[in-house]
Amino acid sequence: MVSLRTRRALFPYILLLPGLAWLIAFFLVPVLTQSYVSLESGNLEQGFQFDWAWHTYSDALSSYGDQFGRSFLYAGVATVIALVISFPLAYYIAFKSRRKNLLLLLIILPFFTSYLVRTIAWQTILSDDGFVVNTLQSLGILGPNGRLLATTTAVIAGITYNFLPFMALPLYVSLEKIDRRLIEAATDLYASRWTAFRKVTVPLALPGIFAGSLLTFIPAVGDFINAQFLGTSRQYMIGNVIQSKFLVTTDYPTAAALSFMLMGVILLAVFAYAKALGTRNLTEAAV
Amino acid sequence: MTDPDRRELDLFFEQVAEGRVSRRQLIRRLGAAGLTMSSAGTLLAACGGVKGTDTGGPTKKTASHPKVAIKELDFSNWPYYMDPKRNVLKEYEKAHPGSHVKYTEEINDLDEFFGKVRQQLQRGESLNRDIVVLTDWMAARWVKAGWVEPKDKRNIPNEKNLQPNLQHPKWDPNRDFTLPYQSGMSAIAYNPKKTGRKLHSIGELFDPKFKGHVTMLSDPHDSAGLMVLLAGKKTEDATLDDVLAGIDKIDQENKKGQIRRFTGNDYITDMAKGNAWVSVAYSGDLFQLRKDIPGVQFVIPDEGALLWTDNMMMPQKPPHPYAAETMMNFVYEPQIAAQLAAAIAYVSPVVGTQEAMQKIDPSLVHAPTVFPDDATRTKLHPYVTLTASEERQMNEAMQKVTGA
Repeated sequence: MVSLRTRRALFPYILLLPGLAWLIAFFLVPVLTQSYVSLESGNLEQGFQFDWAWHTYSDALSSYGDQFGRSFLYAGVATVIALVISFPLAYYIAFKSRRKNLLLLLIILPFFTSYLVRTIAWQTILSDDGFVVNTLQSLGILGPNGRLLATTTAVIAGITYNFLPFMALPLYVSLEKIDRRLIEAATDLYASRWTAFRKVTVPLALPGIFAGSLLTFIPAVGDFINAQFLGTSRQYMIGNVIQSKFLVTTDYPTAAALSFMLMGVILLAVFAYAKALGTRNLTEAAV
Repeated sequence: MTDPDRRELDLFFEQVAEGRVSRRQLIRRLGAAGLTMSSAGTLLAACGGVKGTDTGGPTKKTASHPKVAIKELDFSNWPYYMDPKRNVLKEYEKAHPGSHVKYTEEINDLDEFFGKVRQQLQRGESLNRDIVVLTDWMAARWVKAGWVEPKDKRNIPNEKNLQPNLQHPKWDPNRDFTLPYQSGMSAIAYNPKKTGRKLHSIGELFDPKFKGHVTMLSDPHDSAGLMVLLAGKKTEDATLDDVLAGIDKIDQENKKGQIRRFTGNDYITDMAKGNAWVSVAYSGDLFQLRKDIPGVQFVIPDEGALLWTDNMMMPQKPPHPYAAETMMNFVYEPQIAAQLAAAIAYVSPVVGTQEAMQKIDPSLVHAPTVFPDDATRTKLHPYVTLTASEERQMNEAMQKVTGA
């Protein structure tokens, strides 16, 4: 019989077991496999050999630097736009609206259809003979030969649209949690409404901004669906390259190396961002 | 058929919704969706550090498969590449009493299928299949590597019905190993309402008037192949350099913004929505396209078009080679070939199918996509044949252009 003390000591680990097993099976093992593959060289016909092929990394980076840059640029721009759109929206829902649940439902509603279907719907909406392009053309905003589909604008708009709820919902949660009396106190102490917003509301909403930006930015960097359907090869992102390396050219080492570099750069970006906002907010955001 | 583009989910949805996706396309796209699974398998296999035994070359070019009683035949084909009621197979079984055809629709995707059987092939093992059906370039890879059992031509007298222009591919000059099953064309489709004129040249893909409204297939077998024809060369004699030059040409045009997208079958969507005016297209899709976009034209350009072919072949150590040969012989009966063509509407490689079609479905007798006439046939050229490593270089070069 195990003593009570031992059992007590073991208990947390038993609780952790399913999660750990999950992480080992579906994160650690794939990551190790992938790192192994990324250092192999060869091809599908002749087989792959492990030979510490570090050059795959530098080759991949020099070949696909453009797509890397584009991924971070598009994801960054989309995240900022999503923030600019979501903040007033979340603010309104949290502070002013009497129909919170309805509005929140409306934000989530598009998620009831598949991500792919939504993106493909935009393909139709933005098509050259569609009403959006026709309207913009008759208003003179788009030239007679202008188009929306298969442009950078369409890709960034698509990413923003698809990830907007990931920004809006955490923002709403953190705004909703704010104790109104703090804002009242600020105004009582002669802060203008703007100052109160700046000094009280925004800092308290930071965890939401942080969480929202991460939830938008990270999947957006690796996204390939929007570039695929709304862009051209001139808008392709690193996700397009990785999926095609894995599935079309079966160049597994390069695909694995690109995935690793993407993961690394995202990690660095997240740490830099956390540092900039203050690390304390990171933990708060997690709560 | 060609290497399927896995990115065509949009068209897939649309076509499924409208019920106009061919069954074969449907299955192949579903196959593509399940692809992560298969590549995970290949990945693991790759981790084992399997050493290849590539291009040993075919060891023998003839074989003797004596006549035996046919009991079983293992026939692996693409999904729905046979009449839905399997009448062709039933008639075969009737013609060979006591036989049973085990017909498996397991080839959804060439790379995927290759990944599945590659290790067995390299170890020199039998695949336990008598007939597999592979597109030219993949067939060529197998023949070169020596993974294909030669045919005993004495058992296939109907091979005389093979269309003359399909008799001597570079990779199997005497058809010692393979026999075409069906063909189709890759060329240009355009919407005359948008272009404002008839098109007749591959070069018109690059007319500045169509800037931003041209799509090309992302498969270099098709797009770069057409560029080789545009350069005035025959794909039969083309080398890797010709292909790379073609890809270079595509690259230049793409950088100018001439090409809107590189697509798979979803150029249909772009055409239907008025986004694409001129597209590199497959003839098989033409029927569907004409129904959806009245007036759209599929043209076999002055420079020629690509004719791809799916080939029947016996993978190494087939369990029932004589049965396989009798089956090849059987589908080369014009009557049977016509029955097949009427059901699946591809280009039959069998001479005499057109005459036989008269009795089966007269409406198809003059369908140019099913029965290209002699003048058309002289303009049809095969995909460029490359070695596996050249194929890879081609794919990599094309990938750099398509940005993926």
